[in-house]
Amino acid sequence: MDEVFGVEALRQAARVAGFAWTDAELQTLRPGVEASLRLLATLDALPLEAIEPTTQYRIL
Amino acid sequence: MSADLAFASVTDLVRMIARKEVSPVEVVRVHLDRIAARDGTLRAYITVCEEAALGAARDAEHALVAGRTVGPLHGVPIALKDLYDTAGVPTTGGSKILAGRVPDADATVVRRLREAGAIVLGKLHMVEFAYGPEGFNAHHGAPRNPWDAAAERMPGGSSSGSGVAVAAGLAPAALGSDTGGSIRIPASLCGITGLKPTYGRVSRAGVLPLAWSMDHVGPMTRTVADAALLLRVMAGYDPADASTSVLPVPDYNAALSGDIKGLRVGLLRAFFLESATVEVREAVERAAQTLQRAGAIVDEVALPAVAHVAAASYAVVASEALAYHTGWLRARPGDYDPEVRKRLQLGAFVTGAHYVRGQQVRALVRNEVDAALARRDVLLAPATPLTAPRLDERQTTLGDGPSDVRSALIRLTRPFNFSGHPACAVPCGLSTQGLPIGMQLVGRPFDEATVLRAADAYQRLGDWHTRRPVLA
Repeated sequence: MDEVFGVEALRQAARVAGFAWTDAELQTLRPGVEASLRLLATLDALPLEAIEPTTQYRIL
Repeated sequence: MSADLAFASVTDLVRMIARKEVSPVEVVRVHLDRIAARDGTLRAYITVCEEAALGAARDAEHALVAGRTVGPLHGVPIALKDLYDTAGVPTTGGSKILAGRVPDADATVVRRLREAGAIVLGKLHMVEFAYGPEGFNAHHGAPRNPWDAAAERMPGGSSSGSGVAVAAGLAPAALGSDTGGSIRIPASLCGITGLKPTYGRVSRAGVLPLAWSMDHVGPMTRTVADAALLLRVMAGYDPADASTSVLPVPDYNAALSGDIKGLRVGLLRAFFLESATVEVREAVERAAQTLQRAGAIVDEVALPAVAHVAAASYAVVASEALAYHTGWLRARPGDYDPEVRKRLQLGAFVTGAHYVRGQQVRALVRNEVDAALARRDVLLAPATPLTAPRLDERQTTLGDGPSDVRSALIRLTRPFNFSGHPACAVPCGLSTQGLPIGMQLVGRPFDEATVLRAADAYQRLGDWHTRRPVLA
C-alpha cells in the first residue's frame, strides 16, 4: 500500500462517510490515513477465507 | 494512623470497620483530607463528592451502631473513573462534550457496589472518552505518576486517575475500564493491581463506551485479594447489558489459597517478553522463577496470531468508536481534544470489509489463546513492555526495535481485549530509576478464580505490591 492520497481523495472518502472536513483538517489527517491504510492492508494479505468472523462473544 | 489508613487494603478496612476498630467516617475523612492535600499536584480526581461521601459514611456508622446487617464492602470508600454513571453526580468521560451531564441513575456496577456498602469518594481523571493509553487529557491536563518525584512521567491510561489515586493513597480502590489495556497499563505504570475480567463477566450498563465489543470494566486495587472482593460484588448477569453471562459468580476470595503447586504457567516469550526492555523482561522472568519455586510448572508458549492484532483491533476499535461519536463529530468537532478527534476521524477511512477481516482475525486469536490454555492454567507476560515513559516522549526503543510510545503501551494488553480472556496486572519489580514494572496473568474465559489465585500467590511470595511511592 504505497499509494499516496491527495486531499481531494480524502475529501471524497470522508464525504462518503458523511463528513465534510476542511482542507486543513484533511491535510492534518493525511499521514494518519496513510499509516492506517498501510496497517489495514496487512489484513488483506492474510488467508482468512475459511475463517468465520467473530459475531458472538462467548456469552454463556 | 492517617497514612496507615490511607494505605490500608480494602480487605483490612472491611475487617476494621466491621469490628468497630475504625469508623467509616474516619476512613472517608482520611481520604478526603489526603485528596485535599495531594490532588492539587497529582490531579487524579475530576469531581470530589465530599458531602455525599461523608453523609454516606455517617449512615454506614449508624447502621453499624444499630447492629443492622451490612454488605461486604460496608463503609469502604472507592473512586470511579469518570465514565461510570453516578446518579446526581456529573459523568463526563473526561470530555468537554459531556460537561455538565448529570445522570439520573447509577451504572449497574456502581449500584451493586453501593448496595454492598461502598462509599463513592469521587470521579477520576481519564483520557477523553477513554481513547488513548498515555494518560493525557487536553481539558484536565495529565495526572502525575506518583512514582516520579520530578513529575514528568506518564501515569498510563486511559484510567489514569484510577491508577494515580490508588497508588498515591487517595482511594483504597477504584474502577477503571479496559478496551486495549486501560486498566492494566496504568496499573503497570503506577505499581498497582488491575483486573480486566472476561468479556461478559461484568456489566457495562451505564458505562460510557469506547468500542462495545472490546470494552471491559474492572477493579484497580493495591492487592489481588481486594480485586477479588470487588469483582464478586460487581460480576454477574445484568438484563441491562446483553453481553453479560448467566454463569454463577464464585467466591473469588475463597479461591485465594496461596497454593500453586502443579499450576501450569505458559510464559509468553515471542512477541511479549521479546518486545520488553531488558529490565522488564528480567523482572518477568524472575517472577516466573518465583512461581516455579512455589510449585508451578512453567513452560514457554507462543501466540503467532497476535502479530496481526494491531491491524485487526484497529479496524474494530476505530469503526466502533466512530459509530458512537459520529453525531458529536459532526456537530461539535471543536469540543474534542484535538488528538482524540483525530483518532476518531481516522475511523472514517476504515471500510466495512476491514472491520469484518478484523473480526476474522479475532476468531483466530481467540482460538489460539484457548488452545494455549487447553494445556495450561494461566499465561504470563509483561503488562507493558516498558516502565512509565516521560510525558514528552513520543518514540522509544523496545526489546525488538523502535516503536512509538502509544503503540508500545498497548501492545501486550490489547490481544486479550481482542480475545476476551481475563487478565490481571500486578507489580513485579522496580526499575533502576525506581519506576514500577508490571506483569499480567491471563486465564481461561470466566476462570478469574484461577487468575486471581496465581496472582495472589505471587503477591504472598513477594512484596512488590507493598511498595509505595515517596510523594514530594
